[in-house]
Amino acid sequence: MSVSSRVGVSLWTMQSTAARPGLWRALYRRLGEDAQLAEELGFHAVWLGEHRVWYDGWCPAPLQALAHVAGKTSTIHLGTAMYLVPQHDAVAAARSIATLDHLSGGRVELGTGLGYRDAEFDALGLRRDRRGRLMDAGLDAMEAVWRGEHGDGPPVQRPAPRIWMGGMAAPAIARAADRGYGLLLPQTLSAGEYRRIADDYCARAVRPGAVGALRELWVSDDPKVGARHIERIGLHLTEEAGSWWALKDSFGFAARDQVDRQVARGIGQVAAGPAEQVAEALRAVLAAGVDYLALRPVFEFVEQAELHEQLRRIAEEVVPLLEGAGTS
Amino acid sequence: MRFLLEHPAPQGLDDLVRSAAAAHAAGLDGVLVREWQALPGVLVSAAAVAARVDEVLVAAEVEIGARHPVEIAEEAAVTDLASGGRLVLVARPAAAVPERYEESLDVIRHALAARPFRFEGEHWRVPMNLPQNVHQPEERVRVTPAPAQPRLELWGAGPGRSAALERALGHLADLDDDPDELARAWAGAEASPATIGAPRGRREQWLGVDDLLRRLRHGRSTFGQDWACVVALPEAAAEIASLVRPRVQLHRLTPGLEEFWDAERPWERGLR
Repeated sequence: MSVSSRVGVSLWTMQSTAARPGLWRALYRRLGEDAQLAEELGFHAVWLGEHRVWYDGWCPAPLQALAHVAGKTSTIHLGTAMYLVPQHDAVAAARSIATLDHLSGGRVELGTGLGYRDAEFDALGLRRDRRGRLMDAGLDAMEAVWRGEHGDGPPVQRPAPRIWMGGMAAPAIARAADRGYGLLLPQTLSAGEYRRIADDYCARAVRPGAVGALRELWVSDDPKVGARHIERIGLHLTEEAGSWWALKDSFGFAARDQVDRQVARGIGQVAAGPAEQVAEALRAVLAAGVDYLALRPVFEFVEQAELHEQLRRIAEEVVPLLEGAGTS
Repeated sequence: MRFLLEHPAPQGLDDLVRSAAAAHAAGLDGVLVREWQALPGVLVSAAAVAARVDEVLVAAEVEIGARHPVEIAEEAAVTDLASGGRLVLVARPAAAVPERYEESLDVIRHALAARPFRFEGEHWRVPMNLPQNVHQPEERVRVTPAPAQPRLELWGAGPGRSAALERALGHLADLDDDPDELARAWAGAEASPATIGAPRGRREQWLGVDDLLRRLRHGRSTFGQDWACVVALPEAAAEIASLVRPRVQLHRLTPGLEEFWDAERPWERGLR
């Protein structure tokens, strides 16, 4: 497996936040430009997130945003991390995904997630506590569409675009293993946790797919710059956790100390530093049974010029140091 | 009169791009994208073709009523942003559930406005306020992001005519819709000043210059047709642009001008 087939770039969310307001249509134009550079540099995929009904305009329709990317690029893969299957009409979603696969020449990577915000489910008239069942029913319905049971032609990728299950809980791992999907794990885990999950998954799966992980990183020779980046991620994550996360017995900012603990755990996994140091951290992840990296330098607070410099440095300085890692 | 090109049977993105590029080269307003067997995801196709061809409008005919209208509004908003504000959302009643069309249209209109809303209808309720969804229950939902256009251009289509006209939206009539019936519908709508400027379109099959010209003149004089969505291969764009469009712009051309065009055919005198 060549290096470029196992390193993608994440995570475009199209947010216009208090920390870094942006003009949405400019953000979508930039997405196309960023993807063109990522393609030129040899990355495997760009990965987009999904959330809805939030003040910052977090992209609720990643397939349409990826269709824009498909039109602006020719080889880079188009990933969702994650497409919230329970929050969509599954038949329509399957058709949109097949269309994206068709018009991109088979470049879709479908990361799927449950979603977790009550507000998102409620806006769509769905029960959050049914999301596991909605996921299974949705995946079944999507696969039926791709098999032609509703009269559709097949996607370019047969029998279906590559599917990844997001999440790290036991049901997600079981679902991925039983359905023959890959796993796309969150960025907050240690190498030991990746190892345990990858082992569980491979033990259960008859034909295991790829095990992927999102990883946040920032390449810089100046320790102050790296520290500042981690601080910015901390603020970003604090806003998200404080607004969205149901914690033990409380919700969001109501228990700021719990939010802070979660955030500290999250930023503890960011690899910031010189290329050698970042590569070392990623090699440890690859050695733990992970065979795909969706590297994340992309945040709304990262300016486009900064991002492009990061993409170049990652491609030219970090990725070569991953050669051979974890493939034993 | 404004013009959209609709490819009769595209097999992939390249066909749509050829249509859009032909429209652009001929100065037609844009293309219409709908559901085709090979490309069932309409807004995905629309976002992709907009990414490949600048400046042209991309009208997307989407079935309304079966899917949750908030989901459709979100996809439309993102497509509009990705295209730089060039989307026309053409809402056709879903054949299986025509009774849900009006409410779905209204939820979409709420969702595309930049304010929190609550909707309690017979078919849709937003937010649902289910007791199982316990965290941060909302009285009103704000759908984000807002589209690029201050008001996303939204038309009804086909049998959605009366719902569209009541809401002062534009409407795209079908190929076989009778101009006299359309005239009666628009005459009724004219009772409200809100419909001034609402696009009055119809799909037209391309059967050559003379036929299209005759039908557009008739459409204009009966129901005030001001948009034509011509179902034609990209090759027809140049003829539509040079031979049809100039003759249906003004109420009346200077006497002698059409005879001059017919005699001199200036579009054939390129310096090549």
